[in-house]
Amino acid sequence: MTRYIVRRLLSLPLLLLGIVSIAFLISHFTQGDPLSSIVSERQMDDEQAVAAAKARWGLDKSLPEQYLVYVGNLLTGDLGISFRTKQPVSQDLLERLPATLELVIAAMLFGSLTGIALGVVAARFRDRAADHAARLWALTGSSTPVFWSGLILLYIFSVKLGWVPGPGRLDARMSPPDGITGFLTIDALLAGDTALFWDAVHHLILPALVLGWTVMGIVSRLVRASMLDVLNQDYIVAARARGAGELRVLLNHALRNALVPTLTIIGFTFAYLITGAVLTEAIFSWTGIGSYAVDAARGLDYPAIMGVTIVGGAAFLLTNLMTDIAYAFADPRIRLS
Amino acid sequence: MGRQHHLSLTSLKLAAALCAGVSSAALLPTAASADEALVIARQLDINSLDPARGFCDTCQIYFSNVYETLIGLGKDNSTLTPRLATKWEANADQSQFTFHLDPDAKFSDGSPVEAKDVAWTFDRLKNVKGGAAFMMDGVNSVEAKDAHTVVVTLAGPSSEFLNIVSAPYTGIINSDVAAANGATAAADAETTDKAETWFLANSAGSGPYQLANYKPDDELRFKANPEYKRSKVAVPDIVIKHTKDAVTQAQLLESGEADIAMQIDPDTAKTLKTDKLNVETIPSYNFLYVAIAPGAKGAPKLTKEIRQAIGYALDYDGIIEFTVGGAGAKTPAPIPNGFPGTAGLPEPKQDVAKAKELLAKAGVPDGFEINSEFPSMNSYGVDLSLLAQKIQQDLSKVGIKVNLTPQEFSVWRDHVRGDGIPLTVSFYAPDYYGSAQYLQFFGMMEGTPWFNRAGGKNDPSILNPQTAELLKKALASGGDDKEKAYHELAMGMIDDRIIIPVVSPNLVLASSKSVTGLRYSACCNLLMDELGRQ
Repeated sequence: MTRYIVRRLLSLPLLLLGIVSIAFLISHFTQGDPLSSIVSERQMDDEQAVAAAKARWGLDKSLPEQYLVYVGNLLTGDLGISFRTKQPVSQDLLERLPATLELVIAAMLFGSLTGIALGVVAARFRDRAADHAARLWALTGSSTPVFWSGLILLYIFSVKLGWVPGPGRLDARMSPPDGITGFLTIDALLAGDTALFWDAVHHLILPALVLGWTVMGIVSRLVRASMLDVLNQDYIVAARARGAGELRVLLNHALRNALVPTLTIIGFTFAYLITGAVLTEAIFSWTGIGSYAVDAARGLDYPAIMGVTIVGGAAFLLTNLMTDIAYAFADPRIRLS
Repeated sequence: MGRQHHLSLTSLKLAAALCAGVSSAALLPTAASADEALVIARQLDINSLDPARGFCDTCQIYFSNVYETLIGLGKDNSTLTPRLATKWEANADQSQFTFHLDPDAKFSDGSPVEAKDVAWTFDRLKNVKGGAAFMMDGVNSVEAKDAHTVVVTLAGPSSEFLNIVSAPYTGIINSDVAAANGATAAADAETTDKAETWFLANSAGSGPYQLANYKPDDELRFKANPEYKRSKVAVPDIVIKHTKDAVTQAQLLESGEADIAMQIDPDTAKTLKTDKLNVETIPSYNFLYVAIAPGAKGAPKLTKEIRQAIGYALDYDGIIEFTVGGAGAKTPAPIPNGFPGTAGLPEPKQDVAKAKELLAKAGVPDGFEINSEFPSMNSYGVDLSLLAQKIQQDLSKVGIKVNLTPQEFSVWRDHVRGDGIPLTVSFYAPDYYGSAQYLQFFGMMEGTPWFNRAGGKNDPSILNPQTAELLKKALASGGDDKEKAYHELAMGMIDDRIIIPVVSPNLVLASSKSVTGLRYSACCNLLMDELGRQ
């Protein structure tokens, strides 16, 4: 197992280089002029200003030269300066990644736990009212676009009922805590500011529910299907015959085995959400990686596009690895080599 | 045992604090109290916080509140008022201007604002070649005659120079502080100036506010400048919260999380509860236009007659109704209503019969096919896709078939500056109060952006030989002569029919009832030192 993990970890840089190379080519062959993020409309007709901007941002070099410079800088940990924010991309990512992780972790916790619970209930009461209700709820979650559910839930629970605050991570009147972890909830607690903590939690509720609902839909359907398979196995019949309680049969014998395929989905969903929570972040003005990626793409902000690609690629590779390892723990029959 | 007991106590305290948090009123926003920060919801379109580089609507707000200009613009949006310069004089032909600085003016670090800072700021604006460098075009020298007297000498007459120095981009920087942090005003500043990153986290101006914090795509936080004495700053802390769309801005305003929303479109404004909010709809100086490029690659024949036919085919009232629900105004020429030279201009009207007659006269009685790319975005409350579709519909009535292609702004800008786009739509907002900027951007004379975009090099017939001469005359004159010259120039642009303004969307100023002093400024968007709370 240790050799397997080391080998996989060693292959990560090579895989990342492949991802970086492909992303570099695709972004640079896209139509459009990255100078639109750098040079104002009036200055675009000033040849000297355009030449100065190209030289400053390295756009006067040939594509192979730009690639070599980028990869060279990357090896030293320099992701470049964003054309749009004018800050180092690494700083932008460090500021935004915790926001996305805070949202995604909350959404994954909500989505996975409720999804598993719903899946178990649906399988246990197959073709009965609870099963139909759970499946309908799951289907609605996985098929409702977040831009719709987000806006509707925001309108109902924030504007109409006033139960939760509006968009953003924190009330704009409050000063954010010192960024130790970047997770507002944790930083607020570390600062001992409970009002700030609860404000951050309340801002987190609605976006996490919206994003988690999709996860819940996927997870519950998968758990239900796996549970139905498992519940027909001989060892379940044997457990029941030995007089094991229903809860024990469901949780200890059935769910543990049914969870193996679900772990893969949860792992991939987590990685997907890190870069894929774009719409939720946009609707809730959540300054995370997703909205950063969209703005970068729209403005042809090459350094930012590459930075997000590297983070997204690393997230997929690492969660893939962790899922494989979790597989081995969940099912001792699986041996990694 | 003792440690366990201590841990239990700590846990209890934490739990009690958390419970107190739950039960407290801190959970949900309530109306802001007088000592809390005032929150403005708007899109942060910032491309830099360096006055020599930034060029955007939010930059206008930031610069005008942090970096004082020599001259201000009065509440009537047309009268020039003293700011850093208490008085000024121009020579007879308006090619040299002398500014006398307020001896009591101080930067936020307490040091005095001096003539050397003005000279350094103007030189840097010119030499960094950033967003608003064009404002220093024609400036030959900026000389500090003494600590409080500056003399600016231009290459030729420009009666509009005083308006230019009221633009937020010309705000004066503390040269010593900026230079110590990598800024330079030297001739090679475009490559040697290294201060842009410093300006993202610091400010060095003499305006009523200073930068407290900036997080891109999140918030721009201001705090009052204690050294500012020109007016009383009633709200010490102001936050511009990045809020992309009008609906979300309205939601934040209604929930009390924001005090002012600045980019609500007229349709969304109708949904706001006016018993709790102040909602005012006022005319703006922004406009959207159709642009025709006879010299663009693949363009059909687009003679002046055909361009005029396009102008007559457009349903201006319908466009205003369709795009902003009637909350807008017609703009006869590509100069905003109310700017010099626009009084008495003929209002555009749809005349389909006249359009068909002109097309027949031009030899295309059955119309033609034309390609149109446009930026797929929302500008000043107008969805450009809707606008383009309405134009397509109007032109189809005279047999002109428009093939629409929406593009990302960066792609559109690449194409419009490259081979050109035969027919497109775009938008414009003033950089300061003055009409020359419109001639210099839209006028059909050599070197202007739209002369090039319309394909002037491929089709020199679009050159209007009178424009350059008339503009020179306008810049050299004052009073009625200036007004007349700009009027003639505006008439010329209407006749050229390269740029056809179609709608000037109204501006919605929405705020909570407690906010006072909110108004729209033509130069600066929003002047924060005028804001207050009751």
